[in-house]
Amino acid sequence: MTAVISLIGVPLFIAMMIGFLDRQVRDLVAIVSIIALSTLAICISYHQMYISFELSSMIKGLFTVIDIALLLFFLWVGLRDKQRLVSGLAIAQLLLFIYMLFIAPHGGADDIMVDQLSSMMYLIINIVGGAIVIYALGYIESEDFSTAKKNRFIATLILFLGVMNLVVSTNNIEIFFLAFELTTLSSYLLIGYRQDEISIANSLKALWMNQVGGVAILIALIASIHLYDTIYFDELITNASGYMLLPIIFLIFAAFVKGASFPFQDWLLGAMVAPTPVSAILHSATMVKIAPYLILKLAPSFSLFVSSLVALFGGFVFMVASLMALNRDFFKEILALSTVALLALMMALAALGSEKATMAAMILIFFHAISKALLFLQAGTLEKIYHAKYISDMNSLVDVAPKSIFFILVGFASLTLPPFGAFIAKFMAFEAVSESMLINPMMLFVLIFMILGGIALVILYFKVASKLLAIDMSRKSKDEHLPLLYYAPSLLLFTLLVGSVYSIYEHLGAIESLLAMIVILLLPILSKLNMGKTKMIKEYNCGEADRFEISIYYFDLKWQNRLIYGALIFWVLLLVGGVL
Amino acid sequence: MIEILMILLAPVLGGLIYGLERVIKARMQNRQGPPILQPFYDMFKFFIKESFIVNRLHIVLGLLHFITLWVVIGYIIMGGSLLYAIFLHLLSSVFIIFAGFSVRSVYSHIGANRELLSIVAYEPIFILMAVAFYIQNGSFDISAIRSSEPQLLSLGLVFIAFLFTIPLKLKKSPFDANEAHQEIVGGVEIEYSGVFYEIIYTAKWLEYVFVYLVLMLFAGNNFILATFLATVVFVLINLIDNATVRLNISDMIKINLAVGLLLCSINIIALLIAFYPSV
Repeated sequence: MTAVISLIGVPLFIAMMIGFLDRQVRDLVAIVSIIALSTLAICISYHQMYISFELSSMIKGLFTVIDIALLLFFLWVGLRDKQRLVSGLAIAQLLLFIYMLFIAPHGGADDIMVDQLSSMMYLIINIVGGAIVIYALGYIESEDFSTAKKNRFIATLILFLGVMNLVVSTNNIEIFFLAFELTTLSSYLLIGYRQDEISIANSLKALWMNQVGGVAILIALIASIHLYDTIYFDELITNASGYMLLPIIFLIFAAFVKGASFPFQDWLLGAMVAPTPVSAILHSATMVKIAPYLILKLAPSFSLFVSSLVALFGGFVFMVASLMALNRDFFKEILALSTVALLALMMALAALGSEKATMAAMILIFFHAISKALLFLQAGTLEKIYHAKYISDMNSLVDVAPKSIFFILVGFASLTLPPFGAFIAKFMAFEAVSESMLINPMMLFVLIFMILGGIALVILYFKVASKLLAIDMSRKSKDEHLPLLYYAPSLLLFTLLVGSVYSIYEHLGAIESLLAMIVILLLPILSKLNMGKTKMIKEYNCGEADRFEISIYYFDLKWQNRLIYGALIFWVLLLVGGVL
Repeated sequence: MIEILMILLAPVLGGLIYGLERVIKARMQNRQGPPILQPFYDMFKFFIKESFIVNRLHIVLGLLHFITLWVVIGYIIMGGSLLYAIFLHLLSSVFIIFAGFSVRSVYSHIGANRELLSIVAYEPIFILMAVAFYIQNGSFDISAIRSSEPQLLSLGLVFIAFLFTIPLKLKKSPFDANEAHQEIVGGVEIEYSGVFYEIIYTAKWLEYVFVYLVLMLFAGNNFILATFLATVVFVLINLIDNATVRLNISDMIKINLAVGLLLCSINIIALLIAFYPSV
């Protein structure tokens, strides 16, 4: 109990304190507290502590007050920036929320419930999120802002860790709503951090789109009170039966909004204007993971209709988003679209509900967080130190930035190839979908979507490699010096990825993990190999002395918008099915 | 014991297949052709030639390509999971693609890019093939597939789809755009020389072994059928190689994907329908 409270409370406390510290002390406090939080998270998952307890009514009252204040703040933002959508949604949320308060039953169930899923999420939030915060300490110093504003940035990030810990530990949908809205708030604040025109526009877009998700949760909550007389996840899930899935449907909808699935992908793509640590922590490693988390939580209550529809839609989004990424040039946008794609895949797997699919979804959530965090940190480093934002500018960066490029390639490889963690998830996903095909032939489509989307991601990642890798031996490559705060978090994430070979052993078998290990260990060994008297020469290139320029191919997806709006059909179908 | 021997001799076997292929091809064109051991004579010649390297990464990645392919073949011979074998094979392809990207050479880059695109053409078919085997046998295990009845009939369409990918994997007409000797002078191989070229070359032999090992899975436990299948396909592939012209890369992908996805899907649906009454 204390452990859970400190996971939520400590970041809150540090965040408040950090505004008053000068730089060295701030860095020290942040690093120490993140190490403490990570240790706590490791302890909880190592001892498999399954904690559940009830919060006192005073704290719940406090939560309600915060909730109302938050919604009023959104309303104020909407009025200030003359955004009818934002203020309208805020009013709708306020009305629904107050109505909900009147009819809410005063139940005595556990408000906090930590299970295996939550403890895994703790690991992601505190270790991966923590590594990104440490990186942010160094990153923010390279921006031109006042000290107070920089401190506020760090404070918001740390506060966000606490909020995320709350999201994944609560069993009370009302508190879940609060935490959901708080993540929306941090998303809004951090996307708009630079306060230029485009940042403000994109932050408002992210705000209203996520507010739609908030409205959906409130509707789900009210429906759940009417149909099942409960505001708790566990009661809702055990009671929800075939015909009355309305609350579940709306929660699924909220999940897809947070997961930036079609047609809500725009807010995540727009979020890339924020400083890179924000993209890393909120928009790929932790916050968007609420989406698959929620589906995993709800999956036991799905009927066959709902689970196949969600799986089909997830597969569809996975494929289309991967294909869409093939014509992008902005490195962070490529990462963002592949996040949209992989989140959809996670949700599809989570919806399947079989043991293997659930396991695959969890492994994918975990290792996707690590890989994407690693990639985004490199994106930030390339941007800050080498001024390369677009992949078309990244010619032969391996000469000047071998470490960063190495991390990028490992990050890409870890999402697609053995012997890394996300690959295991992909592998198990294929197995799980093949299994479920025997029960439900519709899953053949999910399988084909998965295969095509997976291939699209492979060529997406490795075409980027074509830009990066070409080594120019005539250029004297210097040793790359990265600031410690840039390098250490990446190294930590990289170590976690390499450690993932262990999970191959656990899930696939000893021989498989051994083979993968052999191959991966050979790379460093072979590169140390003494080549003796072999002579170095310049490229032969068939004797031609052309100037060498790397070009890269793009793939334009026709009917892109139609496909995105085709997604609406899915929602209508799901809603109709849910009501029936 | 015999498995280990087979794994160790896999490159030799691949070399022999390659040598035989050159003879067969020559006979089809009314030529005498080289002796069957010619690939090995070439090998010894490469060993005594001086080797040049462009950069270390290029060499290391080429070596890894070869080693990973050998590992895949060993894994298939030992009877592991077919799906895992397919992904390990993908890893080996990625190594050679990275090698192609790691030098500042136009032809090498074009070759590597085409190699990358050709993954789009065959990988989906491979995975669907593995799934079809799974539905038929209830397991991805190659040892289970090998000990069951021949599946050539029930997986007929998947087999045809797989046949389409063979010229692509072995770089034979009409699907050899990623090597395309006259146009891009061998693609990714161009910057290797001496003993390092031999390694890439031997990796090509291993591709032969890989393809024919997978092909023989369709014959299940019937070894005679397996040999027969391999022989017929071997002759057929060479006949097609002699009789057709090279297609460009996008047509190659379109044909392979369209034919492969369609045939595999129909076959899988048929398998599922057949599976249903028993549930």
